Amino acid sequence: MIRLERVCYRYEGSGAAVEDLSFEINRGEFAALLGENGAGKSTVAKLIDGLVKPASGTVTVAGLDTRKTKTSELAKRVGFLFQNPDRQICKNTVREELAFGLELRGLDRAAIDERVERTLRDFGFDGERGPFTLSRGERQRLALASIIAAEPEIMILDEPTTGLDYRECMRVMEAVKGLNENGATVLMICHDMEVVLDFARRALVLSKGRLIADGAARRIFRSACAMEKASLSPPQITQLSLRLGAGFEEADTVGELAEAIVKRRRAV
Amino acid sequence: MKGLLEYTEGNTFIHRMNPLVKLLLALCVCAAAFASDSLAFLAALLAIDLALGAAGGVFGKALRLLAGLLKAGLLLFVLQLLFFREGRPLFLFVTDEGALTAAKLALRFIAACMPLALMLGLTRTGDLTNALVKTAHVPYKYAFTLSAAIRFIPLFMSEMEGVMEAQASRGVDFDGGPLKKIRLALPLCVPLLMISVRKIDGSAVAAEARGFNLRGRASGYKDYPLGTADLPAAALCAALVALGIIT
Ligand SMILES: Nc1ncnc2c1ncn2[C@@H]1O[C@H](COP(=O)(O)OP(=O)(O)OP(=O)(O)O)[C@@H](O)[C@H]1O
Ligand SMILES: [Mg+2]
Repeated sequence: MIRLERVCYRYEGSGAAVEDLSFEINRGEFAALLGENGAGKSTVAKLIDGLVKPASGTVTVAGLDTRKTKTSELAKRVGFLFQNPDRQICKNTVREELAFGLELRGLDRAAIDERVERTLRDFGFDGERGPFTLSRGERQRLALASIIAAEPEIMILDEPTTGLDYRECMRVMEAVKGLNENGATVLMICHDMEVVLDFARRALVLSKGRLIADGAARRIFRSACAMEKASLSPPQITQLSLRLGAGFEEADTVGELAEAIVKRRRAV
Repeated sequence: MKGLLEYTEGNTFIHRMNPLVKLLLALCVCAAAFASDSLAFLAALLAIDLALGAAGGVFGKALRLLAGLLKAGLLLFVLQLLFFREGRPLFLFVTDEGALTAAKLALRFIAACMPLALMLGLTRTGDLTNALVKTAHVPYKYAFTLSAAIRFIPLFMSEMEGVMEAQASRGVDFDGGPLKKIRLALPLCVPLLMISVRKIDGSAVAAEARGFNLRGRASGYKDYPLGTADLPAAALCAALVALGIIT
C-alpha cells in the first residue's frame, strides 16, 4: 500500500533529513514510526503524502508514484493529521469544517450531509460551535474527525496524542482504531510508547534519517540497541518483564504479566 | 522569497559596521531612490545595492532578492503602462512617456526595497534594537516593536507554508494560475491569523513574565562605538541623498 524504495531527501540549507530509506507497509496494517526528535519522521510522513517529493528513489502510495501524481489526487486516498491541528482548521463552524474536506472530494450534497451528521454524532461535537473556541484536545479531535469523515484508505498521523490528557488520548486512538478495523492502513508517528504498544502491531524505528529497526512492536521494544540509538525508552511493563527475566519475557500487557506471575506462584 | 530576510552569519566589514549607520545607509539609499528622477542614477543605486551585498558576502542572496523584486517590479511596470495616457503612442496602448515613467517607477521600487532587505540580512535584529535604544535614545518599547515585527516575518512565512501544506493534504489543489491561487489562499488567512494571534499573545505574556517592563536604556551590555567603516559610510549616505536630489 505504501512503498518507499531507496528514498533520499534533504531540505534546502540543512543536511540529509532522510537517507536511503526503504520499507513497505501493507493494506490494513497499523504501523508506528518511532525515532528521536529530528530523526526525519515528519519528513517521511510528508513524503508519503506527496507534500515533498523524493530527491532520489521512489515513493509509491496505493500504486501511485508520488512524483507523478498531484497532491490533491493523493489527498483523495490519504488522510494526514498534522502535528498542529490549527493549520487544518479554516472554517467558522464545526459543521462547515467537517463538510469542507468532503466538498473537496467532490461528493454530492446529500452524501456530505449524511456523513457530517454521522461524524458529529460519533464524536459528540456540537455542529454550530466555532472551532477556535474549542480546547486544544477538542481541536485535535475535530481535525481527526474531518479526516475520518472522508474515509481515507490510508491514514497518516503525526503525533496524534501529544499534549492530550489520558481520556482525550484514548478517544482519539479509539477513533483511529475503528478506522483501521474498517480496513484503512494506518501509519502513526508517536512518542508515547504505551500508546504504541497498545495500538500498533508493527514499529519502524528511524534514527538520523535511516531505518534502524523494523518489526513487531513488542519485539522492537525488547531490542535495547535500537531503542538506545533512537533515544526511546520501552514501556514500563516491557521493562519490568525484561527485568524479571526467564519465563516473563513474553509478557507485554499487565494482564499477561499478572498471569505469568500467578502461574509462577502456583508452581512454587 | 524564503529566508531572504533572515540574518546571514558573517564577519565582513559590513557585519561589523555600526547597526545605526547601516540603518541610516539603507534609509538614505531608499530616500535617494525616491528623490531621483534619473534612470541612470536609479540603475547606479541598484549596482550599489548589489555591491554592498557582495561586500557583505551575500551576493547570491542579493541576486535572488533582486529576482523576487523584479517580478513585483514587472507588475508595477505593466500596470503603469496601462494607465499612463500622455506622450506619443509607441504601439497599442503604450506611450513613450508612459514607458519611461513605468520603468522609473519599477526601478525606484526595487532600488528602495533592496537596501532595507539587505540591511536586515546583514544586521542582527538584537543589535539593531539595542543600538536604537542606547545610541539613538529610542524608547525600548518602540525599538522592540520594530524588531518583533521583523522577527515575525519569517515565522509568518513558514506558518503560511505549513497551512498551505495542511490544506493541500486535504485536497485543495494549489496548482494553477495566480488568480486561482489567490482565491484559494484567501480562506487560509483564517488559520494563519488564529495561529499568529495565539503566538503573539503568547510571546507578549512570556516577555512580561521575564520582566519586559523593567528593561531600561542601560540594560544592554554591548556598546556600539563608531568603527573605521562608519565615517565613509555616513559620507556615502550624504553623497547619495544629495545626488538623488540633484538628478
Ligand atoms: N522546513 C525545513 N527546512 C529545513 N530543515 C528542516 C525543515 N523541516 C525539518 N528540517 C530538518 O530535517 C530533519 C528532520 O526533521 P523532521 O521534522 O522530519 O523530524 P521529526 O522526526 O519529525 O522530529 P520531531 O520528533 O521533533 O517532530 C531535522 O534535522 C530538521 O531540522
Ligand atoms: Mg515531527
